[in-house]
Amino acid sequence: MDNRELWTALGMDLEKHDDFLAPVPAIFTSLFLDRPNRPNAMGYFDAVVGDVHGIRVHELYAQKEAGAKVFSTFCVYVPEEIVVATGSASIGLCAGAQYTVSSGEKVLPRNLCPLIKSTMGFKLDRICPYFQVSDWVIGETTCDGKKKAWEILNEHIPTYVMELPQKKDAKDARLWEEEVREFASFIERETKVNLTAENLAQGIQTINNKRQALQRLANLRKHKPAPIHGLDVLLINQLSFFDDPVRFAAQVNALCDELDLRVKEGIGVAPVDAPRILVTGTPQPLPAWKLHALIEQAGAVVVGEETCTGERYYKDVTEPADNVSDMLTNIAKRPLKVNCACFTPNQGRMEDITFMAENLKADAVIDFSLQFCQPYGVESYFVGNEMEKKSIPFLRLESDFSAEDQGQLLTRIEALLEMIRA
Amino acid sequence: MKQAGLDLGSVNTKLVVLENGERVYSQVIPSRFDSVQAGITLINSYVEKHGEKPEKLVVTGYGRVNFPEGRVITEISCQGRGCHAYFPEQMYILDLGGQDAKVIKKNPAGKVVQFIMNDKCAAGTGRFLDVILKGLDLTADELDSAAAAKPIPINSMCTVFAESEVITMLAKGTPKPEVIAGLFKSTAKRLANFVESVGHPECLIFTGGGAHYSLLVRFLEQELKEKVVIPPEPEMTAALGAALLA
Ligand code: SF4
Ligand code: SF4
Repeated sequence: MDNRELWTALGMDLEKHDDFLAPVPAIFTSLFLDRPNRPNAMGYFDAVVGDVHGIRVHELYAQKEAGAKVFSTFCVYVPEEIVVATGSASIGLCAGAQYTVSSGEKVLPRNLCPLIKSTMGFKLDRICPYFQVSDWVIGETTCDGKKKAWEILNEHIPTYVMELPQKKDAKDARLWEEEVREFASFIERETKVNLTAENLAQGIQTINNKRQALQRLANLRKHKPAPIHGLDVLLINQLSFFDDPVRFAAQVNALCDELDLRVKEGIGVAPVDAPRILVTGTPQPLPAWKLHALIEQAGAVVVGEETCTGERYYKDVTEPADNVSDMLTNIAKRPLKVNCACFTPNQGRMEDITFMAENLKADAVIDFSLQFCQPYGVESYFVGNEMEKKSIPFLRLESDFSAEDQGQLLTRIEALLEMIRA
Repeated sequence: MKQAGLDLGSVNTKLVVLENGERVYSQVIPSRFDSVQAGITLINSYVEKHGEKPEKLVVTGYGRVNFPEGRVITEISCQGRGCHAYFPEQMYILDLGGQDAKVIKKNPAGKVVQFIMNDKCAAGTGRFLDVILKGLDLTADELDSAAAAKPIPINSMCTVFAESEVITMLAKGTPKPEVIAGLFKSTAKRLANFVESVGHPECLIFTGGGAHYSLLVRFLEQELKEKVVIPPEPEMTAALGAALLA
């Protein structure tokens, strides 16, 4: 089956799909391929993007033909270990394309986070093969926008919603563990595979390996000069959500081996004194590259992302255990260490940001919030105060997935860089 | 040595030239949707009068990246530097331009330490006042008497809605001066909140075309309960800062 046959089999709108993908190669070439000094090991990830709706979708399709299921997730809290343990696939589908926002607005209010509108639009337009190949969406009760959007999405694809608590007290942890156990039974029912100590240990191991590879990559960025562009790492973080976890981890480790050598030889992608920026805030799902591209175009280098397309996704791993029940307990524990603005209070996030800024030797923090995101938009107040207390230069930016405000964003970014260079 | 600062704004383009630190030339012309061309015109007319180009040039403002020569510095750093020349003691600057508004905080050395910008929404920029005042066809007398009038509250802060709110009020017979006073007061309130989202100034430097509205300045002082100071030629300070940085 070639790509087009596959897409037809998945019920996609081919015409719209072509229209959507048409500008991507040119953008990808100018932002990524044409940039000098990139590590050779980026070749794998470039190839994944080059055939982004092809090879991986074929794999998932084949997995389904063999009896497995595909589950789409939209939040780093959803325990993919459990899905992977059953031999089914878990893919992260947050969407960051302007193209589908207006379709999303057919059923959603205009003043809603673009991530939610873009996601909805992809389903309504039938132009995302990952969505089309999915049997289920796994939603969660994080922000209000997502929580309510699941009800609409459920009209188009079966949607299972996990209830995430909003605080992190003992009773919240109990609720969440119960949710995880219920989810495990749901996955067993759907996939017709029972969780065993062996397959669940394997699932935990596979996902831990992926997260550890990403941690290793993140840790290499603390070196001066930075051995890799932030934009390249962002791309890898974005791909981590839907690539095959085993192959992906191996490729990230291969990249890290190359970067180890660079560090040893003192080779970097930017001058030693290039301003180093830590980005915090809302996720930047594929293909939202605007912020990183502008920051690096202005001569700085992004050294970390305190976001869900970054640190929040991989900073914690699941502790191993020797029976299924204890494993599920540990699986439930990991996400509760993640500090998302959907929780209250969320002081832990301030500590995460300060730690990252110091560890990565960041010269400034850019707190990015997608337009209309209430949790991160409100929490930005505390981020700003914390940075002022720590005397870390700070810039708050709000934007969406459109290209229109690039000039305005660049002015602010340049002014921030002048501020730290002066 | 001559140092020039060219501020390529979306509404006006400004040139300031300094010789040994003293201002020897300053000129403003409308940008007419092509600030780069306006900048070239300004430089050319300077050369015609003074024979040669200034040795050093810094370009700033909206059109800065497209200008063929000069070192590029953002309007934020330039504004900070220009204001520091007049008011080294004061830390907070409010700049109300035609297309944007910004608040800049500088330290005692004149270095910018924090800033915020609004350039997405016309309300809260100079454009808001310009559009509505233009629609009102004001005479100088009416503007004067607004100073003594009791401001009527204007609730809509979106330019489009505020315009229709104003029309409704006038149709109902509300005296024009009260409406005008209300407009300035509500704008001042919004700007004061904008400033205070960065911090509370003991004294605020106010620049940009908006600083020419004396009624706005008065209401701003009332809202902040602090003094507001205005540099001479408040729309020129970014160009001056650019020249000083050249
Ligand atoms: S930002 Fe919060 S809600 Fe969004 S993916 Fe991350 S953890 Fe989930
Ligand atoms: S970015 Fe904010 S509003 Fe958007 S989905 Fe995430 S938490 Fe919700």
